[in-house]
Amino acid sequence: MNKILEIRNLSKSYGRKGYKTMVLRDISMDIYQGDFIAVMGPSGSGKTTLLNLLSTLDKPDQGEILLEGEHVLKMKNKKLSQIRRDKIGFIFQDYNLLDNMTLQDNIALPLSLNGVSPAKTLKKVQEKALVFGLESHLQKYPYQLSGGQKQRAASARALITEPRILFADEPTGALDSRASRDLLCCLKAANEEGSATILMVTHDVYTASYARQVYFLKDGQIQCRLNHRGDRKEFYDEIMQMLASMGGEQE
Amino acid sequence: MSLFRLAVSNFKRSVREFGMLILSLTVSVCVLFNFQNMIYSDAMNVLVELRKEAIDTIMQAATVVFMVFLFFFIWYATNVFLNQRKKEIGIYIFMGLDNGRIGRMYALESIFVGCFSLAAGLFCGVAFSKFFQMLLLKLSQISVDIKFSFSWKPVIVPAAAFAVIYGLMTVKGYYTLRMSSVLNLLSSARQKEIKPEKKIITALRVILGIGILGAGYVFSWLTEDVDALNHALMAVVLVIIGVYLLYSGLIPAILRVLTRNKNYLYKRERNLWVNSLAFRIRKNYRTYAMVTVLMSCAVTVMAISIAMKQRYEKIQYFGEVYTCQVLSSQEMDPEEIARGIQKENQVEYWNAVSWMIFPPEFLDTSYDQWVYGAVPYSQVKEAAEKTGMEFPYEELQEDQMIKLSHEILLSLAGYDREKEVQVNGETYQVLAEDKTPYLGSMQNQATFYVVSDKTYDRFKEAPGAMAYYLYNYRITDPENIDASRGYLDSLAHTGEDGAFVGVNYSQTQQDDDSWIRVMYSLCLFMFATLMLACASIIFMKVGNDVYEDRERYQVLEKLGISREVLCRSVRKEISFAYYCPFLLMSLTSFFSVHALGNVMQEDLIQVNLWSAAAILAVFTAVCLVSVKGAERKLFSKVK
Repeated sequence: MNKILEIRNLSKSYGRKGYKTMVLRDISMDIYQGDFIAVMGPSGSGKTTLLNLLSTLDKPDQGEILLEGEHVLKMKNKKLSQIRRDKIGFIFQDYNLLDNMTLQDNIALPLSLNGVSPAKTLKKVQEKALVFGLESHLQKYPYQLSGGQKQRAASARALITEPRILFADEPTGALDSRASRDLLCCLKAANEEGSATILMVTHDVYTASYARQVYFLKDGQIQCRLNHRGDRKEFYDEIMQMLASMGGEQE
Repeated sequence: MSLFRLAVSNFKRSVREFGMLILSLTVSVCVLFNFQNMIYSDAMNVLVELRKEAIDTIMQAATVVFMVFLFFFIWYATNVFLNQRKKEIGIYIFMGLDNGRIGRMYALESIFVGCFSLAAGLFCGVAFSKFFQMLLLKLSQISVDIKFSFSWKPVIVPAAAFAVIYGLMTVKGYYTLRMSSVLNLLSSARQKEIKPEKKIITALRVILGIGILGAGYVFSWLTEDVDALNHALMAVVLVIIGVYLLYSGLIPAILRVLTRNKNYLYKRERNLWVNSLAFRIRKNYRTYAMVTVLMSCAVTVMAISIAMKQRYEKIQYFGEVYTCQVLSSQEMDPEEIARGIQKENQVEYWNAVSWMIFPPEFLDTSYDQWVYGAVPYSQVKEAAEKTGMEFPYEELQEDQMIKLSHEILLSLAGYDREKEVQVNGETYQVLAEDKTPYLGSMQNQATFYVVSDKTYDRFKEAPGAMAYYLYNYRITDPENIDASRGYLDSLAHTGEDGAFVGVNYSQTQQDDDSWIRVMYSLCLFMFATLMLACASIIFMKVGNDVYEDRERYQVLEKLGISREVLCRSVRKEISFAYYCPFLLMSLTSFFSVHALGNVMQEDLIQVNLWSAAAILAVFTAVCLVSVKGAERKLFSKVK
């Protein structure tokens, strides 16, 4: 399997000298094509910081990040933008759809700005709308949709460029259970059928149970990892047990 | 922290954040003060001899026009200010402040902003008053030694006007905040939805917009003759309504069509900026319409000033072609008069023309208060040759005439070229109408028909006809005419038998017409003020939009959209805000200036082009500043 992301000894701290708080300590992990990884941990464990570092939005104090063998920390801003545009997809907790355009235009945005032909863009938008169950909502504006529909649209937008890896920051954080399930089914389908590589940060066990691997983060370090082998419900129980054994209080 | 201290601290911050609002208000007060100062300033008392009462009337009129404009400008600026503050103000609700107290805090802040702007405006007004007067008089070609002076009188009107208008807007803002819901305050004025509109209403707006604007243009195209005022008024009303409908109907419809045409939309950065424009146009169209109308007014005002100036210069030329004219009921020796003048002055050229006035029953005309007369062809031709003026007419037949008319400053009477004229029962063919001042300022006093010498002799013999003689002299140094005045005045007399000799000095009328030049200068100021006001209105609007767009662009950067792409999108969106009103203004002003040209019988296309070019230059400069400012605000915080 192709190695998409390679993380070596990543550390990150915030604050001024003398008042520094270590958020991540010596994190190393490899992400391969087709992985669906969930990162769990309590508040302040460094989940979002890790995601920001991996998605090139922030820079670590130490360590290396290699995206398809390229050192992203050595890249200039322009190249980083290009990497974010071509190789990385994002799903945010608060959707971040542009409220001044329809869902169709929101999903098409990355391709249309990348110079892809309108015909090809439209075809891809239709495909993604089908995957995420949005065919009948394409002409609507974000304010006309529910939270779940918006998050599915954000996911479709994130995947339309066929990124090498998709980062999702608490994608179900603002959704009810049904909307969460719909979204996660769509992401799972994208992972299994479209072989999309996904790294998702969540504090929700149900959400994490859709992933193939779950990393547990505590005090800035990876405490352990669980692999999804059989039924999702069993995996859900395994995660619960792991959390209980770790003794950490989940949010 | 007390409400007062909170307001003071907010004001200190707002001086920096809302600098544009304060600057605009300051400049408005400064300009208003200077208009008033022109009326009361001691330095301007020298104009008393130059019909100061006419100049004062123009100044008062300009002040009124400016105050009306100021009302709308302050209304708009304070609205922008309020909308930008709403979200921040809304947060105070969580600090336990109720709507009433928030309203009072806003009112206090506004009062600080208003007092600061008023004080700064008056200070700048006083500081620049001498400069303003010098500039105005220099442009008006009035040479007066200006001294700095200050009086309280010109402070009262601008201060009172500003206080009343700004006070009203502050009270309005206070009540808006009092009546606002918490949700409305927290979401500020940010537009979250695109308001759907029934297709039939859109279609109506589009059809009415095009129809009414087209009708307005047709009326302005037909603005001439006696219906000029009616047509002009109709044109103004229709164009204003049409422009508003166009911005609320046709332009949003075009933008919507563009957003639906994905083949167009999904190319380059259009998905960003065309969508943004389509989304915002419902909120912004009033601003665009207001700016378009204001700019059209600016160009028209400019055209009025230039047309007046052109007219004035032509009229003045009638007076300048001869330095003095001796008018006599009996034939005199022109060479002897020339010798008399030459004792003190060098005569550049002279000529003599005999002329006659038609008795009232001679001519069949509706203008019976006007004076008509005739001059013989050969003498006019000779006079033209002596003065170096062109006289491109062949020897006239006995039934042919050339009409000599004069320039007038402004006429609503139609320009209807006569083809034939009835004189003493006979019909004469009018070959041409000529405004060359062959007879100098005499031509301003009456309409003369150049007729063949035989016809002239026949007219002269008719009962009741009176013949006169006109001797025209141009001296090389017209300023020195006073040296010959003694001699020339000695020629003037009126005999008991009705015989007379009169002398007309052409230069004396120049000072009487100073008000025309002052008006021309004021129109230029108006043009500059309106142009800058339009630019600042769009500048504020763009600033407000950018303020709302910050999060949107941060998301786009996170998505990996490069800054180049985003900057291009920002540039295009901002350019639309400046150039769309400019384009519609160019079209509208073409018709308004054409209408003005019809009324004033002047070719004003050059004025139209130059004033549009001036606006384009100013808009381009302000647009660049807007773009730079937007890029700084949008991208500085994103890594």
